[in-house]
Amino acid sequence: MAKNDKKVLGMDQDSFRMFMGKYGIGIVLIGMVIIISIMRPRFIQPTNLLNIFTQISINGLIAYGMCLAITTGGIDLSVGSQLALVSCILGQLVGVKNMNMVLSIIIALAVATAFGFLNGVLIAKFDMFPFVVTLSTQLIIRSIAQIISNGQAVSMTSSVFKSIYSGNFLGIPRPIVYLAIVVIIMYIVMHWTRFGRYVYAVGGNVNAAIASGVSVFWTKTLCYTISGLLAGLAGLIFTSKTGAAQANIGVGYETDAVAACVLGGTSFAGGISTAPGVLLGSIIIGCIYNGMNFLRIDSYYQSMTKGIIIICAVLLDMVMNKKNR
Amino acid sequence: MKLRKLISLSVAALMVAGMAIPAAADEAAAGGDVNGDGKIVVGYISKNTTDPFHGPINSTATEILDGLVADGTIDEWTGILDGLTDAGKQVDLAADCIAQGVDYAIILPAEAVASDPAVVNMTEAGIKVVVVNSKTDSTDDLALTYCGSDDVYAGELMATYIQEQLPDGGAYIHCQGVIGNSAQIQRGEGILNILGEDDKFEALGDYPCDWAADKAVNAATDAMSMYGDDLKAIICDNDDMSSAAQQACNEAGRSDIVCIGVDGNQGPLTMVKEGTLGATVLQDGVGQVTAGIDAIVADINGETVEKEYTIPFVLVTSENVDQYLNADSAAEAETEAVTE
Repeated sequence: MAKNDKKVLGMDQDSFRMFMGKYGIGIVLIGMVIIISIMRPRFIQPTNLLNIFTQISINGLIAYGMCLAITTGGIDLSVGSQLALVSCILGQLVGVKNMNMVLSIIIALAVATAFGFLNGVLIAKFDMFPFVVTLSTQLIIRSIAQIISNGQAVSMTSSVFKSIYSGNFLGIPRPIVYLAIVVIIMYIVMHWTRFGRYVYAVGGNVNAAIASGVSVFWTKTLCYTISGLLAGLAGLIFTSKTGAAQANIGVGYETDAVAACVLGGTSFAGGISTAPGVLLGSIIIGCIYNGMNFLRIDSYYQSMTKGIIIICAVLLDMVMNKKNR
Repeated sequence: MKLRKLISLSVAALMVAGMAIPAAADEAAAGGDVNGDGKIVVGYISKNTTDPFHGPINSTATEILDGLVADGTIDEWTGILDGLTDAGKQVDLAADCIAQGVDYAIILPAEAVASDPAVVNMTEAGIKVVVVNSKTDSTDDLALTYCGSDDVYAGELMATYIQEQLPDGGAYIHCQGVIGNSAQIQRGEGILNILGEDDKFEALGDYPCDWAADKAVNAATDAMSMYGDDLKAIICDNDDMSSAAQQACNEAGRSDIVCIGVDGNQGPLTMVKEGTLGATVLQDGVGQVTAGIDAIVADINGETVEKEYTIPFVLVTSENVDQYLNADSAAEAETEAVTE
């Protein structure tokens, strides 16, 4: 495909059209919001909207890491376990040993990042299947979390620690602020930097990327490392949210992250994704959970509804973007 | 492109509209409007909607709460909110309840510590919280009432039954629930209170089985091949595990091994009726949630509500199983007994 060099909003025209295509998902979201609001006016109240954004912060962070992994043609299944590992490390350092909180957080995040790096090295250096590698590290990381915590929940009583989740910044719940910062950084990284272009190059056509001198090893490794760091941050927020450090958290959290990516137009074939798309995907997932509760949908039907909405939204997206692919 | 957008919008609209459920009755109720918005709304945060133990609890709650809406005692309830056995999810659901203007909330906590913010946040928002089945850390201080059972006693009940069945003592293994869960910890404590003091019994080990029947079967077969005839009993933290373990033992020709667990799910009760399982400890989850809802009704009517209602555990054997087995399962058990 011949690349068009004309720039629109800092993106070349192809990716700009791709970005426009993502409005399909935006329309689904707006439609959902309007209809739920008509049926349940409380849904659209500012307190509930803040509530939804606060709730999606954890999934949103994980989804951005997942998006990088999927864009390179892989997947990161270890994120849920990373949550548990970070939680247990924080539990031991802050909860049991009463260590300095900032230092403990840095250590915990560093460990999660290191495991992300390990994922990346195994995948990029040895050319192992990302699915297999991260499935294995998922087990290993979960086990380490259990060993560290000895299977016991540690209560995190420090109000400073709890305020990581429950605190406000200029009236906005802090998790929303973290998410906003990550969204902005990821937007810049994915769309404005050389690394971002490399990610899309590696995911789109790995041979062409190699031929143009892109380091596939470092690109992939960095993607998984970032995914580890973001999962670590999500683990930090989760631990603050529940005020407890334990090894059984985050089970199945990779599913919602993948769903958010897919809803946001991330292609499993690799090479296609957008930063705003992932945010939209996360918001849709959040609205589905929150909206279904507002609409009093029987919980037995909720997973099915979620699955149907995801399939419909992606189908819709594919139909709308057909021209672009 | 425009047409496609239009189609997409209508598809989205249809999808969401399709999920709609008719609005509940609008009759105003007398007292109990805690937040003063003119309506009495009850929230229900389940532990999950998949465990056999929680199924009957959720359906009983649905039945009673639907009844309360119909007779005008309450205006609305949220439906079963699925906690997915995830404390983080329960904290989110608590926020949803607050956003929905709930007056009373029932919660079956997934975790003692990690689900606590759900109770705290709702109480701080002025919601009267009823904690059912297991306590969170601040339940005693904050909740309107707690309706549950004493899990340590359940462990003791199992251990005493084992003592009675095996007067000569012997070696046993213990299949645990999800590690760190309060029921797992307390039931284990109860078992040790009795068997730890009894020299005739030897603990061969704790097997983490995550409440899962298949893992208990693996533990049972492993232990049988490892300890052979020395293995006399398998004590499980729930009876999905104990019934599955007993079945594995019976199939391996070791029906002499005594398996017991807690909950009183219909499957294990059916086995007790058939005679393939000696006993199970019934936890009256339905009784717990019924007591919780009764407490809300009492509070709405301005009656006094106790801080705690303890619903007793019951040892179910072939003698009293008919009381607890529902009609369908009983018929099934009889048919199976006849076929055998």
